[in-house]
Amino acid sequence: MRRMVIAAISLVGLFVAMYLWLYKLGVLGQLSCSIGSCETVNTSKWATLLGQPVALWGVCFYVAMLAVAVLGTLERFERDRRIAVALMVMTSGGVLFSGWLTYLELAVIHAICQWCVVSAVLVLVMFALSVAELKAGSQER
Amino acid sequence: MSLVASTSPRASQKRFVFVLAAIAIVGAGVLGYVATRPKGGPVAVDPNLPPATAEGYLIGKEDAPVKIIEFADFECPACGQWATLTEPDVRARLIRTGLASIRFFDFPLPMHKNTWAASNAAACASDQGKFWEMHDHLFYAQDLWNGEATSSPDKKMKAFAKELGLDEKKFDECFDSQVHYPRIKASGAEAERRGVDQTPTFIIGGQRYPGNVPYDQMKKLVEAELAKLSKSDTSKKGAK
Repeated sequence: MRRMVIAAISLVGLFVAMYLWLYKLGVLGQLSCSIGSCETVNTSKWATLLGQPVALWGVCFYVAMLAVAVLGTLERFERDRRIAVALMVMTSGGVLFSGWLTYLELAVIHAICQWCVVSAVLVLVMFALSVAELKAGSQER
Repeated sequence: MSLVASTSPRASQKRFVFVLAAIAIVGAGVLGYVATRPKGGPVAVDPNLPPATAEGYLIGKEDAPVKIIEFADFECPACGQWATLTEPDVRARLIRTGLASIRFFDFPLPMHKNTWAASNAAACASDQGKFWEMHDHLFYAQDLWNGEATSSPDKKMKAFAKELGLDEKKFDECFDSQVHYPRIKASGAEAERRGVDQTPTFIIGGQRYPGNVPYDQMKKLVEAELAKLSKSDTSKKGAK
């Protein structure tokens, strides 16, 4: 059940990341941003990492999360602890990275991008679910 | 919302697939809509308007066949994105090849509190023949001097002038005296006169194109203008 929720959240996150990535590619004219300054954040130098837009890394992260979570819902892997560990490791990385980006928005760029906040919240929820999943797996053993 | 109301694993799996499909359809639909919605189509510019009194800043040949006019605000993120991501291609393939020129006009928007300082810095850099160097620097480093980064942009502008190797004394004198403010004001008035209401806005061949015009579209517009020009040349020759 938790893995299904993680998969569903990953899919939502994937669309959020794709939206920001398409903006970086110039496919979208302007970002829809009712709160904060999405364009200031997404056109800052911090919006690029290792030569690629941060949004593209987000797309990769959510695709990986979706794949692992969906795999974990298959009967074969339902009780596989490796899935729970993988989800935990990935979301931990996600929380750290989102935390770093939020710090940059608040302390360095001095602007908040609402879509980045949405992504950070999604990652945080997935992390909490992954912790619960890992704990539940340990108790079953 | 629970993904599994039923206790049957098969039913819960079905429900799960249904929820994923629903998210995928809604997400793809929304993305598809925002990617394809019109970004503000071209608007005809009144051909009877008298020529501009504001000078703007030219890049490319004065007699380039296609003359692109750009109205931009140095602090506008979309203008920064166009200048840093699209303009390099436009310059390399359309300007340096002699097909087109761009005349840049300041259009400082009231919500951007540091944009006047930037326009002023660019105008003072122009006095020393380095408008475009300052233009590029301002857009590339927009997040270092915009209204969210600093409340005293003057220091940043003077530091940029130093980085660009300008005569600092002359630059500071020009910058502090605000001697170019009338010119910037005239550019803004020119934008309003032409009905420009957002930045960046481009005028190509008598049509106004609001928003971030991608390179491919810009190329098509320039080619269409060139085709029009060559057609009218041929018909003129035919008439002789």
